[in-house]
Amino acid sequence: MSIIEAHGLTKVFRRPVKREGLGGSVAHLFTRRYSDHVAVDGIDLIVEEGEAVAYVGPNGAGKSTTIKLLTGILVPTAGEIHVGGVVPHRERNANARQIGVLFGQRTQLWWDLPVRDSLGLLRDLYDISDADYRARLAQFDDILELGELMPIVARKLSLGQRMRADLAAALLHRPRVVYLDEPTIGLDISVKDRVRAFLRELCADGTTLMLTTHDLGDIEDVCQRIVIIDKGRKIFDGTIAEVKDGFARQRQLHVDFASPVDPASLAALLPEAEIEAGIDVPAQGPHRDFTLRFDRFRLTAGEVMTALLSVGEVADFRLDEPAIEDVVRRVYAGDLRLAAEASR
Amino acid sequence: MRRTIRLYRRQLGAHLRAALQYEADFWILIGAAALMQVVGVVFLGAIFAKIPELNGWTFWEVVVVYAMVSIAEGVGSLFFEGTWRLARKINQGEVDYLLVRPYPVTLQVMSSEIGLNGIGNIVVGSILLGLGVARSDIHWSAGNVLLGILLLVSALVIKVAISLGTNAGSFWIPGPYSVVGYGIHQVGELARYPITIYAIGVRLAISVLVPFAFVSFFPVAVLLGRGGSGRLGLLTPAVAVYCVLAARWAFNRGLRRYEGAGN
Amino acid sequence: MRKYLTLARMQARSVLAYRLNFVLSLFALMFQLFAMLAIWGVMLGSGRNLNGFDWGHMRAYLLVGFVCGALVSQGADFRMAGRIQDGMVAVDLTKPVDYQRARFAEVVGGAWTELATALLVCAGVLLLSGPVPWPGVPDLALFALSLVAVLPLKFLIVYMSGLVCFYTQNYLGVHWARLIIVSLFAGALVPLSFFPHWLQYLAAVLPFASMSATPALIFVGQLHGGKALALIAVQFVWVVALWLLARLIWRHAITRVTIHGG
Repeated sequence: MSIIEAHGLTKVFRRPVKREGLGGSVAHLFTRRYSDHVAVDGIDLIVEEGEAVAYVGPNGAGKSTTIKLLTGILVPTAGEIHVGGVVPHRERNANARQIGVLFGQRTQLWWDLPVRDSLGLLRDLYDISDADYRARLAQFDDILELGELMPIVARKLSLGQRMRADLAAALLHRPRVVYLDEPTIGLDISVKDRVRAFLRELCADGTTLMLTTHDLGDIEDVCQRIVIIDKGRKIFDGTIAEVKDGFARQRQLHVDFASPVDPASLAALLPEAEIEAGIDVPAQGPHRDFTLRFDRFRLTAGEVMTALLSVGEVADFRLDEPAIEDVVRRVYAGDLRLAAEASR
Repeated sequence: MRRTIRLYRRQLGAHLRAALQYEADFWILIGAAALMQVVGVVFLGAIFAKIPELNGWTFWEVVVVYAMVSIAEGVGSLFFEGTWRLARKINQGEVDYLLVRPYPVTLQVMSSEIGLNGIGNIVVGSILLGLGVARSDIHWSAGNVLLGILLLVSALVIKVAISLGTNAGSFWIPGPYSVVGYGIHQVGELARYPITIYAIGVRLAISVLVPFAFVSFFPVAVLLGRGGSGRLGLLTPAVAVYCVLAARWAFNRGLRRYEGAGN
Repeated sequence: MRKYLTLARMQARSVLAYRLNFVLSLFALMFQLFAMLAIWGVMLGSGRNLNGFDWGHMRAYLLVGFVCGALVSQGADFRMAGRIQDGMVAVDLTKPVDYQRARFAEVVGGAWTELATALLVCAGVLLLSGPVPWPGVPDLALFALSLVAVLPLKFLIVYMSGLVCFYTQNYLGVHWARLIIVSLFAGALVPLSFFPHWLQYLAAVLPFASMSATPALIFVGQLHGGKALALIAVQFVWVVALWLLARLIWRHAITRVTIHGG
């Protein structure tokens, strides 16, 4: 059985509708009208042990709600979940021991206690042995430089420091499944790199990771799989490569010619490419720098370069890789949902 | 079970260590709380100087009732202060983390803070209790001693249970602090005095609706052998059980609402 | 002057927004009042008279005490303490506004709701327990004058206890200490004449009696004419003295501004 199995996961929030004006308020006292907000709509999710899954979508897509359903914080309106063989919202204790959670916006540290005491309390709550605890702390000290944070009271930590401590707190008890909601906010790049390396190692050791993030570096560096949701529905579920192939097909090549070149001649050679002239633009006429956009399954970079070299002397060029950024941007712009629906 | 208690003590201990960092505040808090109890009794003394008894209760007997509330509040503050922070936790979404830890949410909430002022309440309350009991007409047989202990424990349980149950109102009425909790807590001030001084409506309210009277008046009435009230006082342990069940029910319903509606 | 009026108005508006908050803060006072009414009711019930108080006069006395207690009760000191503790006071100190006057303006803004609500509670009590003896016109005028002095006086006490927050980390203990001292020496729940003589002498040299006992005693007729005027004068003297004292303390306090938090 897969470590996370969710079928038809649905969460509907009932909100009472407040009506306008005095008449509305009075009416509200007698008859309640509710509006149903479907936050999560029939999501199927199967995650195998050791996978690292990026869970992506625009704000309000239902990411946090899904995570809360998977962790047992919310009870689903419909559908089934099993995590590690356990139904999270029913067997809370058993589920708690096998999962670790990090909500980036909130801390789980005790606000008025030094970090050392918070971790000590967690050690006791999760029944971690002394030896294991010390080993874990040493590991965290290595990657997150946790040692320097230990004596500091939680409320005095800066955002970056707090994130590091919260990461340690979430992973202290070697959970089988880890849910991370925006885990690298506020971290500087060197710590981010180390954290990502650590997360990769965790996966290699068999820990399952579910990562909600807006940070694209996290996605590319840590996860092999990406699930995209929008308006409560899953619109993509596959590997990073697949999603790029499917939705980030466009590559960009910027080229500087030694002497001006007529865009028409370029267009004639590369009819399938989108050609854009450089910054200072006279309406038509020759140019030195261009940006070409092409579908990488229709044209190879090689073909484009060949065409360019045949037109004039190339002084400089730059090739942009298909990026998750493009996918995500399109999702956030709603493009992806339309594309997914169109392709069905 | 032992693990549950051990972990509870550990959490309180961590907060105690943190609080002890601020020595001046520590003493001011305890001193102020202690002084508040004393001043209340000074008021009583001033009133009783003119008239020796209140509805058949002597000064020291009233002090015993007063002291019970002091001690109950002290125990609540010292060991269960976190209850009063529930509203803030809900407000700031901190309950989510509590739900994914392998330990009962109620206990996590209650142990999340320590109210050092409770030491002041308990110390002064105990002294007042001792003085009052010594100067009252109580026959201390072995049976009565056991009964007294049982009543004391029951009274404390009732107070803590009422705090938990009323603070659970925050699951329905959000805000930075618990309106229901604080509001009803103030009503409890009425139980510092023999409730026979109040109109029947008030008496019913603080005996049946929110049984504050079983924290102080009725248990004391038992030991003083006050007829009808004394007999009702024997119900105190049963009231304690009822309050615990009611509080747990309220808290769990609140949690379920939280899990249903999110925040 | 206009900026202080604005502050006052803003506070008045925010009080209405936090209605529930305010009513709750009054709850503590209310239930203390109810308990004391019950006790005194029994003590004075059968037509007794203690220290010149019969049941009617005692009720009036307690109600006046309640109204005085309701003034400046919405936590102006907690607001101050909060801003000092999270460092936002630094922003307040950079504004071209006199800190003390600004806090007073805020208190004045909130005073209307406090007064109105307190009077409502009094009305309720009177409805349930029957009317109280009303003072004659001259005494009523003196009473009104005395009441005017209560607001700034109470503000200064609350303000100065808030200033203590520049010196400590935790405000709660200080707040309670103030409540105790004030409740003991203001004579709101138990008239000072019931206390031993040494306590009464102590109360006479402290400003707290001027916050509650003086207007209350005037209202129930235990203070007339000359004596009343003298004590009213004492009230105003305290207002001036404490205002100046508070300014001195403030000047020292801000040298200790340490920013807590992040």
